[in-house]
Amino acid sequence: MNKIFSLIKVSLSHDMTILNIKTKKKSFFSKILLPLIILLYIMFVFGFYAERLIRVLKPVHLEFVMLTLFALGMSIITLIEGIYKSSSLLFNCKDDNLLLSLPIKRGTVLFIRILKFYIFELLYNSLFLLPAIGVYAYFVNPAWTFYLSSVLALLFLPIVPIILSCVIGFIVSYFSSRFKGKNVFETIFTVLFLLLVIFISYRMEGFVSNLAQKAMSLNDIITRVYYPVGAYISLITSFKWTTLVLFTLIHLVIFALTIFILGRMYFRVNSGAKRVLIKHNNKKYLIKKSSQGKALIKKEAKKFFLTPVFITNAGFGLVLFLIACVVGSLRFDSLISTILKENPEFNSNIIKSIIPLIMFGLVSFTAFLTSITSSMISLEGKSFNLLKTFPIKPIKIIYYKIVTALLIMVIPILLGDIFIFIKFKFDIISIVLILIASFLLPLVSEMIGIIINLKYPKMDATNDTEVVKQSMSSLVSTFIGLGLVALVIVLGVIMAIHKVSYNLIMLLFIIFFALVAGLLVLLLHKTCDKNFNDIMV
Amino acid sequence: MIEIKNVTKKYGETVALDNVSFNVEDGVIFAFIGHNGAGKTTLIKSIVGIHDIDSGEILIDGLSIKDNPVECKKIMAFVPDNPELYEHMKAIDFINFICDMYDVSYETREKNITRYAKLFEIEKNLNDPISSFSHGMKQKIALISALAHDPKVLIMDEPFVGLDPKAVFDVKEVMNEMIKEGKIIFFSTHILDVAEKLCSRVAIIKNGKIIKTGSMKDIKGDKSLEKVFLELEG
Repeated sequence: MNKIFSLIKVSLSHDMTILNIKTKKKSFFSKILLPLIILLYIMFVFGFYAERLIRVLKPVHLEFVMLTLFALGMSIITLIEGIYKSSSLLFNCKDDNLLLSLPIKRGTVLFIRILKFYIFELLYNSLFLLPAIGVYAYFVNPAWTFYLSSVLALLFLPIVPIILSCVIGFIVSYFSSRFKGKNVFETIFTVLFLLLVIFISYRMEGFVSNLAQKAMSLNDIITRVYYPVGAYISLITSFKWTTLVLFTLIHLVIFALTIFILGRMYFRVNSGAKRVLIKHNNKKYLIKKSSQGKALIKKEAKKFFLTPVFITNAGFGLVLFLIACVVGSLRFDSLISTILKENPEFNSNIIKSIIPLIMFGLVSFTAFLTSITSSMISLEGKSFNLLKTFPIKPIKIIYYKIVTALLIMVIPILLGDIFIFIKFKFDIISIVLILIASFLLPLVSEMIGIIINLKYPKMDATNDTEVVKQSMSSLVSTFIGLGLVALVIVLGVIMAIHKVSYNLIMLLFIIFFALVAGLLVLLLHKTCDKNFNDIMV
Repeated sequence: MIEIKNVTKKYGETVALDNVSFNVEDGVIFAFIGHNGAGKTTLIKSIVGIHDIDSGEILIDGLSIKDNPVECKKIMAFVPDNPELYEHMKAIDFINFICDMYDVSYETREKNITRYAKLFEIEKNLNDPISSFSHGMKQKIALISALAHDPKVLIMDEPFVGLDPKAVFDVKEVMNEMIKEGKIIFFSTHILDVAEKLCSRVAIIKNGKIIKTGSMKDIKGDKSLEKVFLELEG
């Protein structure tokens, strides 16, 4: 047992360094204040949403529905996140050689890895669920059993989505390891599973809304659809010890059973996932020459497209943007008739006239929430020293990273733009403004990402997921992105309400972000060399 | 020539290099020896521009690595002790990539890649992904990449670790050829026999300080390098 505790301690102390930023100067700001501000910001935002929701539900005494929605939402997010994390967290670990050579049972290694995954999701879920639980407690003033049930729910709710995503991760790794280009197949399988989950969630929404008309309460519906959330809500509304014991036992048994079953196949799949299928060909190797820039772009793009968690994390938003543009343009007429039926005060001309602004918002949303560069330095890992030995200025290396990220981002955004332009026939000024935004906003996003990654690199990750999903750099970039999206939406809506012309609103944003881009260029030039050289591997 | 002048490097409170000074002239093979943690890798990484130094100066052919890093790096090549190559690439793509970074002409890279791939008997593996390679094979790829741009200064950290006996012999041959062309080879090693036979000059570092430097003959006298080293370390 001591061995397991030591392993857990070592693994967690290494992986949970997200709030333990290694900087030369251990400043109060970067060590304590910045992580604290981020945590409080997230909790405040979700607490705010919970409070808005419960105010609406309080008059009809359905306060618990707020918790139902939060718990269900978090479970779906955990499942979606888990799907593209699990392959990398379970099967692409760099500490395999060390762990497998230790005198511990192989099943223990799997247990530690799933436990790490669970603890990270538990911390994430707590950020969202704790404010909701607090808001509920403030408004309802519940009995002590509510707190007991909520603590257990907090602990157990991530288990089912994590187990499901681990199973999917197993399937993805098992099948992709049979192909030569296993990383490509892993990415394809992962994206397919993600699309399937999103499709099912989307269908479920319709299923729930249909049932809502028939069922007595939303609580009944959720109980039927998803037991863990249903049981939690039932514990809140009518506490029973039997339900509590059953709720606890079911989760513990599921967890133990999964470790037992997956543990039996883990090492076969794991060694398969690590195996590199080599086709020994007698083909003469090709010596070719490229320019420095072209070679650097090719290297970065290859790294992106061959790192499944990287491509799924960044590429997924772009795929959704494209789908939104295609579906929006193809199904616009049916969408508009639905909106008009439900909101007779609108007319189709008003809706059509606002589409350039919506498109601008969609481009900002996609650009600011897709940060490729925020992981590009960290993903270099130990090979970062190689970059340092090249006879190239650091700023040039950094610019080529930005250029690669832009190429990856701008192409799908432009494709989406074209679909929308063809369908809606914008005026030329709107087209030009949206096209400028399609270059400028990703540029701002990627510059922010690289500046943050240079400042907060994570060079000692044991797998790519730690870098892409669990590093300080990706977290800060995401929240800056969210802040910028909120800025665009709030200011855009305020200006639209004050009858500022839509083209003028877009122009003002473009001027603002062009200035931001200029400032970021200055900042990058000022800090690049120092931060680049300060990174120690 | 490599000139190392009063170089000091600290990691927090720990002094990794303490006022280190010595020169490496053209046309010599220079051995840099010391026990684990003595500061060998720190100095090597400072010479090749991976680490900044806190004070002092490192000049490569008269140019400061701090003020003119790009110019210095153009004439240098570095082979680390544990080559961290881009695992997602095929070996030939990696070598081509490194050549692109040094702007090597097609003719030069064709000549050098063909020559060294044949010498290290790795021609047949150049189309394979690096992730499938053993440590020794990766070391060979790192060596080919380093030699492909005809560097004037070759810096190596424990170059013989992981190489098979034939490759060790070949590397030594390549080193001897290079010094005949007036090039510099500076490397760290724990294999004192190799250093003794191969190198004309040597520096011994202990706790970040150079405790002995000079020609191999002067330093070892009638004793073996191993004996001298152990006496100095004791």
